[in-house]
Parts: sequence; C-alpha cells; structure tokens
Amino acid sequence: MWLVFKKEIKELLRDRKTLFFMIALPLLIFPLIIGIVGFVSKQAIDKAETQVLNYALIGGQYAPDIVKELQQPEKFSLVEIEGNADYTSIIRNETVDFVLEIPENYSNDVLKNGQANVKLYFNDAGLNLVYRRVNEIVKSQSELFQQSAFTSLGLDAAEQSALIEPLVLEKVNTADDRENWGEKIGGMLPYLLFLICLSGAMAPATDIGAGEKERGTLETLLISPIDRNKIVMGKFLTIAFAGTMTALITVLSMVIWGLVLSQGMAIKFVADFMAQIAILDFLLIFLMLVPVVAIFSAVLLSISIYAKSFKEAQSYMGPMTILVVVPIMLALLPGVELKGGWAWVPVTNVSLAMKELVKGTMDYYQLFAIFGSTVIIAGALFAFCVYWFNQEKVLFR
Amino acid sequence: MIEIKQLAKKFAVENPKKLSEQEKKDPRLKGRFFHSVQDVSFTCQKGEVLGLLGPNGAGKTTTLRMLSTALKPDSGSVEISGDNVLTNPVIARKKIGFLSGSTGLYGRLTGRENIHYFGQLHGMSDASIALRIKELADLLDMHNFLDRRSENFSTGMKQKTAIARAVVHSPKLVILDEPTTGLDIMATQTVLEFIRGLKEQGTPVIFSTHHLDEVEELCDKVTVIDQGRTMFDGHIASFKALADGSLHQSFMAAIQSTTSE
Repeated sequence: MWLVFKKEIKELLRDRKTLFFMIALPLLIFPLIIGIVGFVSKQAIDKAETQVLNYALIGGQYAPDIVKELQQPEKFSLVEIEGNADYTSIIRNETVDFVLEIPENYSNDVLKNGQANVKLYFNDAGLNLVYRRVNEIVKSQSELFQQSAFTSLGLDAAEQSALIEPLVLEKVNTADDRENWGEKIGGMLPYLLFLICLSGAMAPATDIGAGEKERGTLETLLISPIDRNKIVMGKFLTIAFAGTMTALITVLSMVIWGLVLSQGMAIKFVADFMAQIAILDFLLIFLMLVPVVAIFSAVLLSISIYAKSFKEAQSYMGPMTILVVVPIMLALLPGVELKGGWAWVPVTNVSLAMKELVKGTMDYYQLFAIFGSTVIIAGALFAFCVYWFNQEKVLFR
Repeated sequence: MIEIKQLAKKFAVENPKKLSEQEKKDPRLKGRFFHSVQDVSFTCQKGEVLGLLGPNGAGKTTTLRMLSTALKPDSGSVEISGDNVLTNPVIARKKIGFLSGSTGLYGRLTGRENIHYFGQLHGMSDASIALRIKELADLLDMHNFLDRRSENFSTGMKQKTAIARAVVHSPKLVILDEPTTGLDIMATQTVLEFIRGLKEQGTPVIFSTHHLDEVEELCDKVTVIDQGRTMFDGHIASFKALADGSLHQSFMAAIQSTTSE
C-alpha cells in the first residue's frame, strides 16, 4: 500500500502541470489577481474623485452660496446650456456630467419657505462619485440652514437632536465580534476549502485512474502480486493527500498574503480575530476536512477508474464541482443549524461545523454525528471503490 | 509445466445496437453475451516456446489475459506447475511475467524506477532489484537510457523497459502479447534474442504474434485459435505438415478446418 502511495506521490511531484495547479496557483496567482483587481479599482475611484466635473446650473441666482461652492476650477467647471436643453441628451453626449436645478423657494429661511427640492440630474449607472461630491456641498448648506432655523427658534442642543430624530431604535448586539464576523467568514470558509480541495484532488485523480488506463500501465499493475484493495488504498491516499495539501497551501498563502497586504487597522483586526480562535478549533477545522476529503477522493477514484481516458474522466468530474456546492449552500440557509438531522447530512454538517468553530459556538457533542456520518459514507464509498476495482467490465472497458 | 483446459470467457454486451455488422454476424454473439473465448486448451512444458496464432479478434489477448489472471475465466482451468491460477491468483502472479500488447510505462519515472517499482510490488529487496536490473540491462542493452525519464523513450526503448519490468522477478513462465508489433527490425531482434535466452534457461514462453517467421525461428509448439476455439495445438513439425509449402498455408489450413466442420 505504501509502495503504491510512495510511487504515486513521486510521480505527482514530477508532474509540473499538476504541481502548478496545486501549489503555484493558490500561492501566486490568486493574490496576484486580487492585487490587480484592487489596484485597478483604486485607480478608478481615485480618478472619479479627482476628475473635473462639467456642470450646468439652473436657477443659480436663488442660491449664491452653492454657486460659490461650485467655483472650484480643480473640481468643477461650468458649462453654459440653453434654457430649453434636454438634460438627458446633454448628459448622454457628455456635454455636461451633471445638471443642478435649484428651485425658486431656495432660501436660508427654511421656517418661512419650507423644504427646498434641489434636483441633481446625472447618469448614475456605473461608477461615479457625482452624487457624493455634489451632496457634500448641498449638505453643508443644509446644515447651516438648519442651525440658523434652530437658533431663530431658540432651541438648545438637546431639543435640537430630539427634534431631528424624536425616536431612536438602538441596536445592541449580544454577539461578540467573533460570532459576528465568524458567521460571515465561517460561512465562506467551507466553500473555499472544499472547492480547492476538490480541484487539487482532481488532477492527480484523473492521472491515477484514467491516466493509468490510457497509458496501458493498469493491466500490468493489476497482475502484480499485490492485493487490489492495497492498490486502491494507495491511490486513494494519494488523492486525499493531494487534496488536503492543496487546501493547506491555499489557506497558508491566504493568511500570509493577507498579513503582508493588509496594513494598519486591518492587520490588527485580522490578528485579533485569529487570536480569538483557539488552536484546538483550528485543528478541528482541518480534522473536519479529512472525512470530506475521503468522500471526495473515493468518488473521484471511482469516476477515474471507470473512465476510458483523461478526457472522459474530466468530463465526468466537471459536474462534481456543482454537486459539491449544493450541500455547502444548504449550510448557509437560515434555519439550517448543526442540530438533529442536519448534523448527519454529509458535507453540509461539516460546513456548519466549520462555521460554528470559527464563530466559537461549537457544540462539541455534534462532532460524533459529523464524524460518524462522514466516516460511514466515506467507508461505503471506499468499499465501492474496491468493489469497482475488481470489476472486469470497469477495468477493461 | 502449464496446462490450460477448456478455457471459456464471455462478455456482457451492454448495447447490442452499437455492434458493427461484422460483430453481429459473429457466431460467438449469443443473446446478451459475446462468447469471446469458448474452448481453448493447450499445454507448454519447461523450456518450450509456444506461439499463439490466430486472426484479429480470435480471442488471443483474452486468453493471455486469463492466463495472467487479469481476467477471470467463466469455466476451464489454468495450472502452472500444479498451482491453480484461478483459486490462487496472487501466488500465480509471482510465477508469471506478463507483457501486454498495449502496455505503457509511467512517463514521469525513469526506466530504472519503472522496473524498480514492479520489483518492489513483487516483494523483492532493493539490493536484489538493483542486481536484477543490472543483469537485465546488460542483456537488453539498455544502460544508456535507463536513468532517463521514460516519457521520451523511443518505441524500442519502451518495449525493452517493459520486458525488463515483466521479468524483473525472474518468473517461472513468461507470457508476451504481440511483443514485436510496431517495433523496428533492431528492436524486434532484441526481443527475439531475449525469448531465445529465456528458452535456453528453460523458462517456458508463450507469445502471440502475427509474424510466422518468428514462429518458425523460435517456437517448439504452435497453437492456433479462431473464433474462440483451439483449432490446432501441437509441435511445429506437425503444424508444418498441415500443408505443403509455407507456414502461411499451414495456418490457413488450420483455420479452414473450422469452416469445413
């Protein structure tokens, strides 16, 4: 058994293509992609913030303060338009970026003139900061007006705030930070881990079963004096090992890159969050991965040995990714908790448990159900693999 | 030494509609099963080389696969020096060296590692494997490529490595399925030399082939299979006597007797 395992691993390590997917991809490519996306979007936001906006002003005579605020040549530039111009078309043909329409009742005496409705016409599809930038100006004016109205009414600070918001519904979260963030991060974790595990295990699985058939080495292996179940075990372990290693490498790379890239506040948050999760919970998260990887490996090996060629194996394995997502998604549904029946649903229960572990609200007794059900299923699938390996119609298809 | 009696093997036909016209006409197709091998018997004694002849699809490969325990026969028996192959496949496998017609190597391992791995699977110690590899490399002239990755080997190099792999455990019986098909003249010669070497050591060899000149050169015995049945089993002299002239005519005569029956 270890002979088979050792040889498969040796062969795996010499395969540059597989190694690339297993190690280089999570280690370098993902952070690189995230980095590029981050860089480009930061550039776009910077550009939107510093871009000089062309604007047209209607009814500027009612609001000299706003006109004055808009006279900042490095930020805004006034464009004269005809009185009857269609705003939509001049915005579409980029004559102006926005049109600001100030109503007649605009006045600093709000008690007398009532609420003024200032209209901002602009194209709000796509990334732009037009509203935010104009709102800064309008809002500061609005606050000034509010203050002067309060002063004329002779209200003190307490009365002012009571008037602005007579009733406040305050949210008091009994969940601590860990539970709060754990729910969000812990829900995503199984997605990431399972799918990476699966993709990492897929490449060696194809090679080990269908590949061996395609190259014609399978027959020779089958007639060597070693028990079939030992061959299966060796191959199974290789696939499981590859899957786990890929997941491990990915998580490590994410942690390292996360620490490298995030600075200042973010790094403190990450560090604090990590510090709250006990080493035992970390270990359990990985331990939890073991039965799931066993299920994956057994299924992949069965598929792979059934397929006649690499191509066939790959097309059978494709839908597996989708099938794996379903039980993980179940775990994210409201009301699905690590209790009773759900604790026995494979893959879903592990997703739930990972979430609970990250949140720190794990009911450790459920581990029995989780390991129990996963071990039974993995065992049954493994037994099927062995049975499959003894079927002539599978081997000599 | 090795005795094969009334071997038979049928395969379930999954989708009868997919069969070709020719396959449908084959009398071996009975209902849902294709009786690939129906009645094959032959024997091979120590030091004998047996040539297995027959047209394509006659059941040669299936027969050899049953001998090598890769397939389980439905009926019949295979005995190698008294051991029943069917009840004791793992023991039998240690005595057999099998080279299949469509064999390959692990491309990312070197030639030496390929052979070494199978030596290990046969339970040999590292020292004895190393010794044996040296011996085989001398014999098959493979020293200059033994430590290269086998994915870049030529067909001849691959075949030599595959042969070395098949006999690394010094088997009592060597079975070769079309060992010379697709090889150039030099490589073919190496293979034939190797079979001759085995014969001199007294190791029986069973090999299937389409080249009658190889049979004439090497074989003591000839077995002709057609449509899953043994049509001829006997010494080369009696095979030659089937017809005047060349072995080709003898072969045709052996096959003809089926159709006339």
